[in-house]
Amino acid sequence: MAEVIKGDALRIPSREPEFVRRVEELSGEDVFACYQCGKCSAGCPFTTGMDLLPAEVLRLLQLGDERVLESRSPWVCASCLACEVRCPKGVDIAKVMEALRLLVLRKGETGLTWREIPPGVPQIALVGATRKLTP
Amino acid sequence: MTRIPYFPGCALKDQAAGFERAARAALEKLGWELAELPRWNCCGTVYSLSSDDLMRHVAPVRNFIRVQELGEEKLVALCAMCYNTLRRSSLFVAEDPERLRRINAFMDEEPDYEGGVEVLHLLQLLRDEIGYEEIEAKVERPLYGLRVAPYYGCMLLRPREVGIDDPDRPEVMELLFEYLGAEAVDSPHKVECCGAYQTVSNPWIARERVREIVGAAARRGADLIVTSCPLCTYNLEQHQLPNTREEKGARNGIPVIYFTQLLAFALGVQDEELGFEGAAIDPRPVLAQRVGG
Repeated sequence: MAEVIKGDALRIPSREPEFVRRVEELSGEDVFACYQCGKCSAGCPFTTGMDLLPAEVLRLLQLGDERVLESRSPWVCASCLACEVRCPKGVDIAKVMEALRLLVLRKGETGLTWREIPPGVPQIALVGATRKLTP
Repeated sequence: MTRIPYFPGCALKDQAAGFERAARAALEKLGWELAELPRWNCCGTVYSLSSDDLMRHVAPVRNFIRVQELGEEKLVALCAMCYNTLRRSSLFVAEDPERLRRINAFMDEEPDYEGGVEVLHLLQLLRDEIGYEEIEAKVERPLYGLRVAPYYGCMLLRPREVGIDDPDRPEVMELLFEYLGAEAVDSPHKVECCGAYQTVSNPWIARERVREIVGAAARRGADLIVTSCPLCTYNLEQHQLPNTREEKGARNGIPVIYFTQLLAFALGVQDEELGFEGAAIDPRPVLAQRVGG
């Protein structure tokens, strides 16, 4: 993992909304370390299903823009970590996505609409989806 | 026979039974025995990425206690998801004694986990402990002429601290196939996610992923795709053809098998131990055509 270079220079604590602080706490990541190079978005295999690219998710968090809370991108992210191994600033974006899911899930809401369970689907798919997408 | 504690996980007792059966048979040929961990439980399936959720590490730690009770220090997994979750949890509790103290206190019915269990993937055992040259010397059915595309997916390679090889340019499977006599087919999508559990929440995403992954292997002339994960295998098989469920009788895509099955086949393991009957797309015709019985 690249050495984490802190993003404090960009931070304006007095203007930082509570949800941004909460995302950083849950993820353990510094979202202000991101300098918008876009490597995460370029390598993400799930962007066709996303309304915000991974780098845009980080940018909206930096700006304290609440629209990030309505994004479907964290629900499409499958924690494959392609972004994590490539981020030159050492930001684990999958952890940020997980934190954004947890903000919703810990209110008791679900991100999983059960469709027909395909026959023969391995338990690891069902348990994985349930653990990542339900409260 | 050298024995090593072995963690199977749920899929290897069900959909991926052939993965385990072939591994046992292949390792026996190499003088190793997979000793199934007594009273093993679920690995946890997916590693928790939140900083404050110790509960998600209880399942892995309970398995480490079982290893500790045997007086052993290593635990080998075959399923890439089990490997990743167990290995990451082993590092998570090793990083901070306070985390482990709290998990131990929570599981007061168990002896304390002291730390120190090393989780390995079977590919690491084959490469680092047994050695590819040793394996090559025991090949009975060299795979000359067979074109094999490795598919790593995510869990063997990422994050770096648990990856068994370079996250972008791995070669652990390629080298194994070449020592078995096969030709390894490279593909830019071999390290890209198959869609994982999105197969139940957003199946179209998994379908799109698999079209790219399998398409790239097909364009490069692969006879087989080889994986180490039951969920990758499921996705790569089921999403390979359009309307697969309707066309069950008429599959003719690229077979997807486990690396243990390819290894066992090359080592001359008998057909009934290879577990190919569990494959959705039968690999036997292409193996017979390229390598022979």
